[in-house]
Amino acid sequence: MSTTIPRRDRRKQAATAIKPATPATSRTESGRHSQRWLAWIFLAPTILGMGLFTLVPIAASVVLAFFRWDIISAPTFVGFDNFAEVVQDPTVRVSFLNTIAFVIVAVALQLGLALALAVMVQEKMPAWLRTFFRSAFFFPLILSAASVSIFMRYLFNEQFGVVNWFLSLAGIPAVPWLTTPGGSAAVVILVYVWQNFGFSFLLFLGGLASIPVETYEAAALDGATGWRKHVYVTLPLLSPTTLLASVMAIISALQVFDQPYVLTRGGPGDSTRTAVMVIFESAFQRLEFGEASAIGVILTLIIMAITAAQFRLSKRFVFYQ
Amino acid sequence: MTGATTGRLRELSRRTALGALGAGIVGATVASWPRLSGSDIPGRGDNSLSIAIMGTAADAAARQRAIDAFTRLHPDIRVKVQAIQAVDWKDFFTKILTMVAAGTPPDVVYVATEGAQLFADKLAHPLDEYLRRDAADMAEFFDDVHPSLVEAFMYKGSLFQLPMDWNAANMYYNTTAFAQAGLERPADDWTNVDFRNNLAAMRRVRPSDFTPYYWTNRLFGGVVPWLYANDTSFLKETRSTGGDWLWDSFYTNDPTRNLRSGGYQWLEPNADDPRVFETFDYLRGLVKDGLGVRPEEGGGSSLVGLFASNRVGATPAGGYWVQGLHEAGMKADDYDVAFFPKWRSQRHQFGTAGYAIMKTAKDKDAAWEWIKFSASREAMELIFPNPVTTPARRSMVNEALYAGKGPAHWKVFYDTLDKYPTTGPIPAPPQQAAVETALMKNVSLAVSGDERQLKQALESMQRDLELALRRQS
Repeated sequence: MSTTIPRRDRRKQAATAIKPATPATSRTESGRHSQRWLAWIFLAPTILGMGLFTLVPIAASVVLAFFRWDIISAPTFVGFDNFAEVVQDPTVRVSFLNTIAFVIVAVALQLGLALALAVMVQEKMPAWLRTFFRSAFFFPLILSAASVSIFMRYLFNEQFGVVNWFLSLAGIPAVPWLTTPGGSAAVVILVYVWQNFGFSFLLFLGGLASIPVETYEAAALDGATGWRKHVYVTLPLLSPTTLLASVMAIISALQVFDQPYVLTRGGPGDSTRTAVMVIFESAFQRLEFGEASAIGVILTLIIMAITAAQFRLSKRFVFYQ
Repeated sequence: MTGATTGRLRELSRRTALGALGAGIVGATVASWPRLSGSDIPGRGDNSLSIAIMGTAADAAARQRAIDAFTRLHPDIRVKVQAIQAVDWKDFFTKILTMVAAGTPPDVVYVATEGAQLFADKLAHPLDEYLRRDAADMAEFFDDVHPSLVEAFMYKGSLFQLPMDWNAANMYYNTTAFAQAGLERPADDWTNVDFRNNLAAMRRVRPSDFTPYYWTNRLFGGVVPWLYANDTSFLKETRSTGGDWLWDSFYTNDPTRNLRSGGYQWLEPNADDPRVFETFDYLRGLVKDGLGVRPEEGGGSSLVGLFASNRVGATPAGGYWVQGLHEAGMKADDYDVAFFPKWRSQRHQFGTAGYAIMKTAKDKDAAWEWIKFSASREAMELIFPNPVTTPARRSMVNEALYAGKGPAHWKVFYDTLDKYPTTGPIPAPPQQAAVETALMKNVSLAVSGDERQLKQALESMQRDLELALRRQS
């Protein structure tokens, strides 16, 4: 149906459309202006917090890394000496290797466990049970890592711990959990994963909920069931969540401190000493703030490099719907 | 109605709401400024003498009677005690250093041997001038306190603290476990061989759910008393010159006067000494044969419960354990205490603690008055009414203190110094934290594997100690 408007009416319409244009634009601009201010006001606490408690300390650490400073005396400029000492220090080297090994094992376990449980809970549980598991798995995360670790020290005590008592019921001799390099590393990883997998679990649960049912139905029609369904549908569609979960898990694991510090104090030997623990020991126990800052700078660069690599690789492996 | 409400709300929104929000934030910030800035902490911002101790609020409250008595004597000096919770002394010093870094150091700090030289070297003010000035008042204190305790607080010829309490690494043993194994009270000069035989006897009687020898991996009561007994240490021990002014003023007639110096010095590692190897090998043997545990890191807080529940045969500890065992339900004759076994020597290990005046203290004279008062018999009786430690004053370690709590041979506590005057302090140079880390991290490995692992652990300890001592020298 033709909707031709007569020329006269068109002119009139244009006039009415043009007339209020000036004030309307002005109101929009003013609105945008005030919205911009509003945005800044709401962002201000975060920007202030980030600036004061993240950016300034990072900048201070970078500067401090070039000084020798023990809190009490005035700082002395030493150039790259701190970096040179740190690189040559076998304890620092071992602690970085421990941290990397810890990240590989702990993150793999954390993500694997979280994904498996999330798939199980999403598929096979009634809603009320799903809610229960969601809370139960997240619960350890809200506990203080230090108190959890103190508790775990008692559980894993070689002589009197409950864990060895249970093993003894099965005729297994007492395991020196916290006093041998292998045992202590295993306990640290176990405690860390138990406490942290709940966060990844929730992320995966959210990611699974966002996968359309129709996709599974279509896949089922094509014959994808069981494992094939997860390999060809779930995992690809969950890849953005997996990227987020892995980035967060790796950054967190690279900074692990509480669990090994309270459980083993880094021992036996240096077997559970981590990079952040060495930073703490250098700064607050040996009063070598310059060296501690140098280690901190190196750790920050490593975290940045790994995160950048993850995002770069994500272009190949992450599938966005 | 709804429309009207919505209209009013619309009138209120944005500017007014934002203004109210802003005013609220400003108001809340102003109202909570004392908390945000920490100025509501008792003693901060006024001229009170702030005293930091390791402990809980209850420990601070326990000192209130002493503070009241001090205030009666010195109404012009206000005192505030700040209790700082910590896992161990190293943790406590870390927190004090954090306060120093934050620009809020206390005026006086209760420091144990572990940190005595760190404070003397960097943070504390020497007491020499005050002691010379008040020598007449202080003579009675030194008469009652063993010179070994005082010498532990000497650093390069100056005295930095007065010992208030102390503990030796004595050997606690469970009398029931001993009796079950047919063992009698050990002789005062029992040896490391006797000790091992006793552990083996207890193990034979109770093959499971029982640990003949429990020990923790730390500077006090870990491997060090064994090293001392074997006439060695993991650090080479030397003495400073100086300090004669103190010994000649207060200990002229003491039979050990010639042993005294200007303070201990630990300048070189000694983990490659064959006797160190021998000592670790002895402990490795205990672990290997199931007579002793592999030592765990951290404090010995869980140990009182284990000992009190008769699951531990023997363990090294000081007089500080008596009250804890009493509260855990042990009767006076359920346990006893003996000297640490001898080996090549019968030199024991001790640790002591006392107040140090910070270089940054607002009023050092007032701080000294507090220390002088705390060293008085009156104050020490108020602060140590129970056997939670061994008082530095010999006269206070008496029957009355241990009545109804035990152990039967409580005299062992002070006799460790009186009978063995060469008994030495915890080896703790100014680099104590690094040294302790170097020791602890290698002890577990040294005693938990084969001979090859033991050698490697001691080589590693030697390297770590060299680094620790070189770094801050």
